[in-house]
Amino acid sequence: MTGAILKTLAQLVLLLMLAPLVSGFIKMLKARLQMRRGPGILQPYRDIHKLLRKGMVVPDSASWLFSATPYVVFLATLLAGLMVPMAAADTPVGLFGGVLAVVYLLGLSRFFLALGGLDTGSSFGGLGSSREMTVSALAAPTLMLAVFTVAIGAGSTTLAQIAKVAINQQWRFLEPSQILAFAALFLVLIAETGRIPVDNPATHLELTMIHEAMILEYSGPYLALIEWGASVKQLLLMTLLINVFWPFGLAAGWSLAGLAAGLAWLLVKLAVVSCGVVLVETANAKMRLFRVPELMAVAFVLGALALVSTFLF
Amino acid sequence: MDFLHNPEFGDKLVTLMAAFVLVFQIAMVGQRSLIMNIRLFGAQSFLLAAIAAVIAHYNHAPHIYVAAVMTVLVKVILVPVLLERLVDRIEIRHEIEPIVNVPLSIVISGGLTLVAYIVGESFYHPETGAASLGHNTLAVAISVFLIGFFMMINRRKALTQVFALLTLENGIFLAAICLTYGMPLVVDLGVFFDVLVAVLVLGILVYRIRETFESMDVSKLRRLRG
Repeated sequence: MTGAILKTLAQLVLLLMLAPLVSGFIKMLKARLQMRRGPGILQPYRDIHKLLRKGMVVPDSASWLFSATPYVVFLATLLAGLMVPMAAADTPVGLFGGVLAVVYLLGLSRFFLALGGLDTGSSFGGLGSSREMTVSALAAPTLMLAVFTVAIGAGSTTLAQIAKVAINQQWRFLEPSQILAFAALFLVLIAETGRIPVDNPATHLELTMIHEAMILEYSGPYLALIEWGASVKQLLLMTLLINVFWPFGLAAGWSLAGLAAGLAWLLVKLAVVSCGVVLVETANAKMRLFRVPELMAVAFVLGALALVSTFLF
Repeated sequence: MDFLHNPEFGDKLVTLMAAFVLVFQIAMVGQRSLIMNIRLFGAQSFLLAAIAAVIAHYNHAPHIYVAAVMTVLVKVILVPVLLERLVDRIEIRHEIEPIVNVPLSIVISGGLTLVAYIVGESFYHPETGAASLGHNTLAVAISVFLIGFFMMINRRKALTQVFALLTLENGIFLAAICLTYGMPLVVDLGVFFDVLVAVLVLGILVYRIRETFESMDVSKLRRLRG
């Protein structure tokens, strides 16, 4: 019992502490690649710290949904994060359905975020919510398809089980179905975390913003919770991508040495994925909103082909 | 360095690269910029050359190396350079406009891939064992071929149809290499020469079409001009 609590706490701390670091790392890398100095790698921690101490402004027109949203977003994302293997293959929390529960928890947090955007009645919030729902309606099926591809290979939808099977088949990620699923999941990662071809995370000044438009009315601790939740979600999706496709180095049990090695590997792999994201962000311009469905169609077809090719080979 | 002689590893490697060939092909359907299309074609051809080299290594068929080198020279370097110069010369700045919109085209390409997999499977005989190096590459080859056809139908401008033809040819090359482990060298050389001449001739043709009709839209070629 105490072991379970300890594991949960350890993963919780890891999620909360690592997530801003990954965001900061991506920001720093992007700035360097664009020949800017950019903020330091610890800037997201400072931002969260600053926001948590500030007062907040709640619009008069806001209902209880507005104040419930940050908590629901934050907690749902954290709970989903506890179900993803990070340093060890075992996860502290294993709800029914495994990876399906992760997808639906993310869906729940997104649903509330969109409600929160609509609740204040500002036109920007509504706009952001409607766009977010459009993008996610296209990204979620792709995420499902990619995840099913992997789940079929492992014969289970539990992420711990998927990771364990993947550890035993070191070179499985080179199979065509896995490659296609990986490509699909990478595109989903970019869409879901609001990265450049889909959304621009760096600005509040664009008429085409999606995520930032939804949370425009939030300030102070609420904004801190939402931003922190968003970076946890980014970390979660990245670890999902990493540990499902390249699980080497993942600790199978709970020995201290294994965990340390697993953590080190996790950091290395996160850095690699971040580099990929940064390259995509720097090399591309933001897409017109009406072009986003095209990108998502590519991702969807890749996911569908991945699923089909598991049956064919 | 055991894996260098293990045909299973070679099979995995070929399959992996074939999957990337397919990804590039679908990306080409989704990509609207002409220059990006040319570069994707170059990358796809480079992967083809790599597949040829791997098959040459594991099947001990040195003449396929020549085919691989020729692929790099002709399709990775020469053809993209020629096409990019053509794009520069006729000063097209606008994007490709497919007849069926892009998301639907991509879904159709996915459907074509399925068809190709089903067709490709009927060629697959597991009992032949060791000779099956790259057997699932055939499905990829057929789908590259079918998607190439579809791209050709789906695009209006003469120049964009030239790329479609080239990717179609890539599909045929892939099929040839994974089924027969390389045709006789003379045939290969002939095909490369063909591609090169086709690009040159089509380049001139595209240029002429544009000079005469002030557009590259082939649907305008119906009207006769004296």
